[in-house]
Formats: sequence, C-alpha cells, structure tokens
Amino acid sequence: MTHRWGMVIDLDRCTGCEACVVACHAENNIATVGEQEASRSRAKHWIRVERYYEGEFPDVKVKFQPVLCQQCDAAPCEPVCPTFASYHTAEGLNGQIYNRCIGTRYCANACPYNVRFFNFYNPAWDKPLDLQLNPDVSVRSVGVMEKCTFCVQRIKAAEIQAAAEKRPVKDGEIQPACVESCPTSAMVFGDLNDPESEASRLANSRRSTKLLAELGTRPKVTYLQRGSWHGGENS
Amino acid sequence: MPVPPAIYGLFADPESAERGMNALNRAGISPKRIVVMSAEPFDEYSFSQMDQATPMPWIAAIGGAVGGILGFLLARLTQEAYPFPLITGGMPLLAAWPTGIVTYELTMLGAVVTTIIALLLSTQLPNWKPKLYDPEVSNGKILIGVLEPSDSMRAELENRLRGAGAVKVKVMGVRP
Amino acid sequence: MAAKTPEQITDDLLRPLSGISGRYGLGAALLAGVTVAACCAFFYQVYAGLGVSGLRWPVFWGFYITNFVFWIGLSHAGTLISAILRLANATWRRPVTRCAEVITVFALSIGATFPIIHLGRPWLAFWLFPYPSERGIWPNIRSPLLWDFFAINTYLISSVTFLLLPIIPDMALVRDRTTGLKQKIYGLLALGWTGTPKQWHRLETAMHIMAIAVIPVAVSVHSIVSWDFAMAPVPMWHSTIFAPYFVAGAIFSGIAALILAMAVLRKFLHLEEYLLPIHFENLGKLLLMMSLLWFYFVFSERLTTWYGNEAGEMPVFWATQHGSYAPLFWAMVFCNFLIPVPILAVKKLRTITGTAVASFTVVVGMWLERFLIIVPSLSHKYLTYSWGTYRPTWVEITITAGTFCGMALLYMIFSKVVPIISIWELKAGQHHARHGARIVQPAEPKEVEAD
Repeated sequence: MTHRWGMVIDLDRCTGCEACVVACHAENNIATVGEQEASRSRAKHWIRVERYYEGEFPDVKVKFQPVLCQQCDAAPCEPVCPTFASYHTAEGLNGQIYNRCIGTRYCANACPYNVRFFNFYNPAWDKPLDLQLNPDVSVRSVGVMEKCTFCVQRIKAAEIQAAAEKRPVKDGEIQPACVESCPTSAMVFGDLNDPESEASRLANSRRSTKLLAELGTRPKVTYLQRGSWHGGENS
Repeated sequence: MPVPPAIYGLFADPESAERGMNALNRAGISPKRIVVMSAEPFDEYSFSQMDQATPMPWIAAIGGAVGGILGFLLARLTQEAYPFPLITGGMPLLAAWPTGIVTYELTMLGAVVTTIIALLLSTQLPNWKPKLYDPEVSNGKILIGVLEPSDSMRAELENRLRGAGAVKVKVMGVRP
Repeated sequence: MAAKTPEQITDDLLRPLSGISGRYGLGAALLAGVTVAACCAFFYQVYAGLGVSGLRWPVFWGFYITNFVFWIGLSHAGTLISAILRLANATWRRPVTRCAEVITVFALSIGATFPIIHLGRPWLAFWLFPYPSERGIWPNIRSPLLWDFFAINTYLISSVTFLLLPIIPDMALVRDRTTGLKQKIYGLLALGWTGTPKQWHRLETAMHIMAIAVIPVAVSVHSIVSWDFAMAPVPMWHSTIFAPYFVAGAIFSGIAALILAMAVLRKFLHLEEYLLPIHFENLGKLLLMMSLLWFYFVFSERLTTWYGNEAGEMPVFWATQHGSYAPLFWAMVFCNFLIPVPILAVKKLRTITGTAVASFTVVVGMWLERFLIIVPSLSHKYLTYSWGTYRPTWVEITITAGTFCGMALLYMIFSKVVPIISIWELKAGQHHARHGARIVQPAEPKEVEAD
C-alpha cells in the first residue's frame, strides 16, 4: 500500500517559538535574504508562524499558526504550471522540480496559502555558513520557485533504508526538520493511509480543522484547535 | 527569360477596357490567351469575369479540420507520453476542456495557414518574372492584351484595340 | 471628399513614403532612445534577477502582466475594425483598415514579449513549445499559460497574414514607382504581383476567409488571457465574467488606440482628405458603445461581489473602492466612462479632437484597469497575514515606457515604408460607389480559329 504523507499541527501546543522556521532553513538550504530584501517581502520562509491578535491589552489573545505547504490533493498550483514543475507525486506530495521551473510564478498566485516562494536573486550564504549546506537538498538558482517538500529527502532516505532492510517504514521514523525541532511536539508527521499512525489518529480528532477547506483544495495538513478563532465550536 | 510576344492596349478607364475586351472577343481570340491587368479589382466588369470559382473556402475548411485533428492528437498524446502519469491538481490526465481549447486553436491556425498556401499556389505567387507586365498599370491603366498573337492577326488586333479606345498599344517580344 | 482620380489618390497616399523630415528624425530618435533604454533595463534584469523589479511575495505579477494583458487587448483593434467591418460591408472602413491591422500586429508582437520578460528564467521560454525534448517531457496543456501560447501564436500568424495579404498590391504599386535598390526590395515584397483578375479574385476570397477566421480567434485570445486569472482561486479573479469582460475591454481599448493613431497620422502625414471627420464620428460612436458596455461589465461584477459579501472578496473590493487602490480605481472610472461618454455622446463634441481626447483617456483608463485587476487581488488573498503591497521600480517603469515608445516608433517606421491607407481598396471603393454592382455582358466571341 502506497504511503500518503500528512501532517497534524496542534495549535493549542504551539508557542510561536519559530524553531521550525529555523530548522527548515537549515535543513533545506534556504538562504536568508538580508534585511533590505526581507523588508521588501522577499524572504523565503517555507514554514512561517502566522500571528493573529485579538482583543485589547490586557485581554489580548494571540494565535500562532504555522503555515507550510499543505500538499493539497486538489492543489491549485499544479494544473497552472506550464512545464509540470509543480505536480502530484504518487505518495500524495506536491512535488516541485526546480529544473523544470521557468519562473512564471503562476503557481504562487494560485496558491491560496501563499506558501510558494520565488528566488528573486541568486541565493548567497555568508562564509562560513556555506559549509553548513545540506548535501541531500539542491540549492535553487535565481528565477525558480520553491516551497516546503515535507522534507522529501528525509522521506526518501527512510524509504530506501526500510527497503534495504526489507521492512515497512515505521510510524514516526520520518521526521521533517520542523517536526523534529518542535519543543512542544506540536507537529506530528505520518502516513495517512495507515489508520494506526499517530498522524491519522490525530487527524480524526474532534479538534481537527483544515485551513481554507472551503476552497476545495483538500489539504493534507490538519490543524488541531479547541474552539475556532472567533469563538464558538469549530466545525 | 525571353519575353514571349504579346500585343496589348492600355486603357484609361474600365468602360474603354470593356470595349477592348469585346473587340478581342469579336476577333475570336480564345479567353485563355487574353491577359488583363489592373491596379485595382474591377469585379463588376465583364473583363474581370474570366476566372472560374475557387474552392478556397472548402480548402480552408479542410485545412481547419486537419489542424483540429493535429491539435487533438497533440493535446492527447503528449499528456500520455510520459513514463508515468503526471497528475496535476486532481484533474484527469486527459482533461476535456483544455484539450478542447488546444484543438480549437489549432483548427483556426490550420484554416489560416491553408488559406495562405492556397492563395499562393492558385495565384502562382511569388513569381518575380511574370510573362507580361507593364508598369503603366500602376498609373491606373488597365492592360488588356493577347499573348503570342499570330503574325497575321497582329495588325488587326492593334487596330481593334486602338479603335476600342486604348491610350497606348504596345507590341512586345522582339528577340535579338 | 472631393472626388479624386485614382492617380491623385496614388500620389497622395504614396507621398509619405518619400523622405523624412527633421521633425520625424528627431521624434524617431527620441522614441528609439527610450526603447533602447527599455531593452537595457530588461537585460539588466536577466543579469541580476527579477529582484530588481518591484515584485514580491505575495504580489508575484505586476507591471509586466499588466502590460501583457493591455497590449494583447489593444491588438483587438484591427480584428474588430478590419474583419467585422469588412464582413459587414461598411464602406467607410476602407481608409481605416490598414491603420487598424498595423496596430494589431505591432501591439500583439509587443504583448507577446511580456510572457518572456516576466519569466524568472526567460532563456527557457521555449519550453512552452511542444517539442519532443531530451528531458522526455511535454508542456502541461492544463495550464492557461499554454493556452496563451497557442492562442497568441495563432492570432499573431492570422493578423500578420491579414495585414500582409492586402499589402501585396500596394507593394507592386510602389515597386513600379521607384528605381534602384528600393525597387528591388519592393519588387521582392510584391511577390511579382501583376493584378490579373484571377489574382484579385483569389486575394479577395482569401481576405474574406481570413476575416471570418480571425474574429473567433481574437475572441478566444482574450478569453484565454482572462483565464490566466479566472482559473486561479484568488479573490475577485475566480469569476465567470472575466472572459466576456476582457474581450469587451480589449475591443474598447483597441478602438481608442485606433482613433489616436488615425488622429496622429492625419496630422503628421497630411491625410486630411482621406481620414475624414465622418470616420472619427463613426469610430467615436463605436467607442461610446464600448464605454457603456465596459461600464455594464464592471457594474455587474462589482454588484455581484458586493451583494455576495464573501469574506475573501470583500477586502479586495473595499481596497479598490475606498482603500489604498481607490485613487487609481476612481481615476480609471473617470478615464473609461465619466470623461469619454459625454464627449462621445454629444454630437458637437464628437469631433476629431474630441474623439482623440476621449481615446487618450480610455487608453490610460484601460491600462489602469488591467493593473487594478491584477495587483489588488494578489495583495489581499485569503490569509490576512500574507497581505502585501506592490510598488514598481525603475526597471518596470522603463520597460513599460519602452513599449509605448516602441509601438509609436514601429508605427512611424511602417508609415514611411508602406502606404498606411490601402490604396487599391480605396480606389475600388470609389468605383464601387460610382458604378454600383453592374455586370456588363460580354459580346459573344466568334469561334474563329485565330491561330
């Protein structure tokens, strides 16, 4: 049975520490763009923690929501790419093939979650940070779109290892960088085709909700939160 | 290329050109040897009526159909041509609507290209060395003439053209 | 118009081809300068990366796509005027058709460069072409950008043909009146045209077929361009009204561009006796109709949005109406509707100057409309945390200015090389009017063996 990778993020556990953001940068060779470019919204945070404030001081409520590529089953970014750089893999991931990308940026416009990023310049690392690049992940050049891959290099590595050892992939064996780094274990990654996996179990919880589900994108990231943002029962 | 002999008259207006044409007809010249040239189309005059109807619209339609078939095949076959299916957005591999759009565009392209080719072939253009031409045509004169007239007819044709009102009558084709 | 002899017509309409004035040279040099600057800006962008533009997350399309849609829209001038009026047998179209067809070809060519200019890796633009690549992959026909590729190329080939076919007899005309190298070049372009009835008949049949074919192509082109937006789940993009809205807007801007071009040509090439006030009046009436139609589409779209009160769409709606984009929005309404309609509706104001002024405001307004369709929606997508802004940089502004100057320059060069009014069509129209459609019966030929 093929895998169908999904993620569950517990918003009631998320503290907004942004360790996941840093870990993602480190794992996936995402360069920082510098202060000036960041002020021009050119930063490429494959996962970002969105902050929403409600109420007036001292009764302020803050919600932290890590937003990353939802790996939608009906991804709007996929059909619009003219060169098949954005496509759906057999394991349910939305793949981004950098070599095919010619940079029309249509996928980024079509993505309702705004989780796709463009290399406006050639990425650069100040020495000695260039020594820290992950050899399992390609470095993207200027003019190419990029986004969260669910750390597909880790998925592939675990699958290859499991195949070599002639055993199935164990639940929890694959941990994308963000999931691994989360100090409150708010993020869980697993096989949604396996009803016993923790990700499947949590996705069926009463607190589960999906981001922008009404758009029909069928995202595979489930958010757990007690009560909806504006109060009242979540649907 | 040697210029074949010809005799023609240059007429200043369509009415006299009409008379010239009638004069040639009365002299018994077969329409295949009569040449007419003008700087604008004179569709409503008989001297422009020598042409048979063209099947160009049908040719364009056939060209469009061929284009449509090619478009359909392009849209279908290329999506299946991978070693594995490239699924995008939960849409089917052979999506009907986009196939329709590509088929339609290539149908129209086929019709247009076929029309151009049909035009060039039926008018035998480009032909930078035409059998007979006189730049006076561009000054508004209408040329009505006969290709390769027999020597005996030459004088009579000259008179008839002049009598019909030709501004100038020229004889061509004297080879050194 | 005082009845002109065919020779007078030929002389008048070939006069612009003989030599250039100092004023022309200066104007051409200025336009060429801006165009060259735009090319340099583009090469700088290719060298340094798209970061030199004002694009950013989440507004990934800005000036370039605005220009793309604008220029493709403008190219609907020729199709409408030349093809539709040809099919409707409107006699007043004769002096106007070539002006319109030229706008179409040049505007379309300029518009078609923008999908390449805006690419992150423009040197790979050829991957949109379906060819058996060594990577074993074909383009994705589900993508509206690929429909763009087919549609724009089909339209380009059709409109170039539509322009070049009726130019052939005029090339023959110029060939017969020039000598030396000029004669050789025009002779080459004339394809050896002699003007036999067969050639005329076939040419007119081909033009008729083309006129019928190019209208659905033009409609499909701008529908497909509109679907670049309508197919994406972006607030106020995903609307079924986009295809007819864009086609109507394209025809609207096309007519305005045509009126402007004709007004300029009339003044600088002294074509006062050929481009008459009645032409501007008639085109002005068409422009009025399109302005009302444009307003109808905008009103329908906005009313439906306002009534629907959808959470995703209302921020975009209010941003354009009251918010940061409001100045541009109301300027657009002024330019497209509030200024042109009174000018064009009142007969006394529907003069050549009046229609030219109205057309200028329409061209500005339609450019703003394209901008306001693209940027406010991208700035306000569904997740409020990712709302953003957009400001163009000098690169985008230079390239935009370069396209306008390039268009004017191309037009200027064309009008000096090819008669901008179709001479043979004008002459044919004259004698049609004089003699009506009478067929003269030929005398019966005597069946005598002539040879």
